[in-house]
Amino acid sequence: MMRIVWLSTFLLLLFACKKEKAEFRPTPLAIQIPSHFPEMPIPTDNPLTEEGVELGRYLFYDKRLSGNDEMSCASCHMAFASFTDTAKYSTGIDGIQGNRNAMALINLGWDAFFFWDGRATSLEAQILEPVPNPIEMHETWKNGLNQIKKDVTYRNRFYRAFGVEDFDSTHAAKAIAQFIRTMVSGESKFDVMYKIENNMALTSYEQSVQIDAEEWAGYDLFKSLNGADCFHCHNGPLMRVKKFSNNGLDANPTDVGRAAVTNNPNDIGKFKVPTLRNIALTAPYMHDGRFKTLDEVIEHYSSGIHPSPTIDPLIEFAGQGGVQLDAQEKYLLKKFLMTFTDLNFINNPKFQDPN
Amino acid sequence: MKHFFILLCLFAFASCKKEKITPPPVLEETIELKVFPVFGGSTLYLDSIYTGPNGERIKVTDIAFYLTKMQSNGLPLSEVAYFDYRNMGNALLSLTKKHTDFPSLSGVIGVDTSLNHDDPSAFPNESPLNIANAGPMHWGWNTGYIFISIEGKADTLVDGTDNLDVSFSYHIGTDAMLQPFSFPQINWVQTGEKKYAFHLNFELFTFFFNPLQPVNIATEPFTHSGAGSQALTQKIAENFKEALFPQ
Repeated sequence: MMRIVWLSTFLLLLFACKKEKAEFRPTPLAIQIPSHFPEMPIPTDNPLTEEGVELGRYLFYDKRLSGNDEMSCASCHMAFASFTDTAKYSTGIDGIQGNRNAMALINLGWDAFFFWDGRATSLEAQILEPVPNPIEMHETWKNGLNQIKKDVTYRNRFYRAFGVEDFDSTHAAKAIAQFIRTMVSGESKFDVMYKIENNMALTSYEQSVQIDAEEWAGYDLFKSLNGADCFHCHNGPLMRVKKFSNNGLDANPTDVGRAAVTNNPNDIGKFKVPTLRNIALTAPYMHDGRFKTLDEVIEHYSSGIHPSPTIDPLIEFAGQGGVQLDAQEKYLLKKFLMTFTDLNFINNPKFQDPN
Repeated sequence: MKHFFILLCLFAFASCKKEKITPPPVLEETIELKVFPVFGGSTLYLDSIYTGPNGERIKVTDIAFYLTKMQSNGLPLSEVAYFDYRNMGNALLSLTKKHTDFPSLSGVIGVDTSLNHDDPSAFPNESPLNIANAGPMHWGWNTGYIFISIEGKADTLVDGTDNLDVSFSYHIGTDAMLQPFSFPQINWVQTGEKKYAFHLNFELFTFFFNPLQPVNIATEPFTHSGAGSQALTQKIAENFKEALFPQ
């Protein structure tokens, strides 16, 4: 009897002590791209894998990457706000605020430049900035990752994703970039309108979506050259164009925007054209969060344009202050802007905090 | 003696071994098409100010256009070529082809009707027609692509101030505005080993101040090829064609 007890105890101890064995056999991950979207360009040195995306999701929500262990990427990119900050300026761990509004994380897999001034030319490069930035997470990547390295589960996740034991910031950035590339929004009412407009096949769910006459009228206005004239900078399924533009916010911009990157005075006051997807959820608006509501934004384009030497030539009615919409047109335009809301995107369990 | 004989054999064997020579890679011929925007014959720089014959000050901020269905005597050269001066410089097209196969060049200014109304998301990733690349050059499936886009600012007021107070944007599109082009003789210039180039000028002076039909920026600052601006659209399209010619 005693022998059996001893044997059982020994076996129990043996199994209890057995290390979890991580293997490097990454599983390729194909993202579900909406049928009306272009193919997503994936960098050859950072292919999407299930393990990489999972790791990236954990890191995105991990506060240990900040100097006081109280801030993560998600602190300024909140799911309910379509992964942006509801504050005009985000506040870093030392209580310091920046001077630009956090950008929403939507369909970034198709973007070619990042930040309002486009200073990062890859998602991976963009991700490397906020951790050491003294007005944001204010931590060295080395220290942040040293914290992470104490966690055997994390070590295993890195090994499964990249086959490395001594991982560094480049691996972390790649993982977070993979996670962000999976954040695809293409299930809004607008997507149904886009498909109907272009005679594309609708799913049974899309066929059940009701679009009213006012929303269609708002869409017409959005595209009309003599109406709101928005589509020059916001078009296609991604609802943005790849460019920097001065949209007439200031006659003498205090934030020079793109010019700080290019040192070209012709770029003063130009900023990245953002997507309009989920625009109703991403207030406040513009690079400096100056507009609290969509009504204020619409009023800006209607009557608040300030001409300047670098204003976008496509702001064609700048000379008269804007496109001069009447109250009904503003109402219709706002109704259309609401069709960009994609609740499936912000509530997708795959994008939420895994903890 | 036996050992000596073996050594001799080994020596002979080693000395007879052929040195393995890796043949140099076969260099394929490449051809390049480039476009050089000029103003009065001198290089035009975006965002710089140029003066017209009547003192008009003009600043061009963007030049972009598509050429499609390019071929020579029935031999296809390229389905689509895209020029974007701000983002891609002078490049129009670079291909692995033999320059001797293309003694002439013809095609369409704009996006041929067979491509103009396709799903812009369905073109290959690297295609300039893919919506991810076309961006502002695509209006919608129905209207299609902007074939020619010339944007900028001008000072058209004789008021003593140098403000570039007028914005202009000329967006030419729709199937009716497609124009054939033809360069009957191509003078290929050798630019390197198995590299040949064909250079075009785009003369903005001719574009704006065509003696037969000049563009009055003050009164004709915009066209988006809509119903109310056919005359200006036609003029811009024709002036563009005339201003694009081989060097």
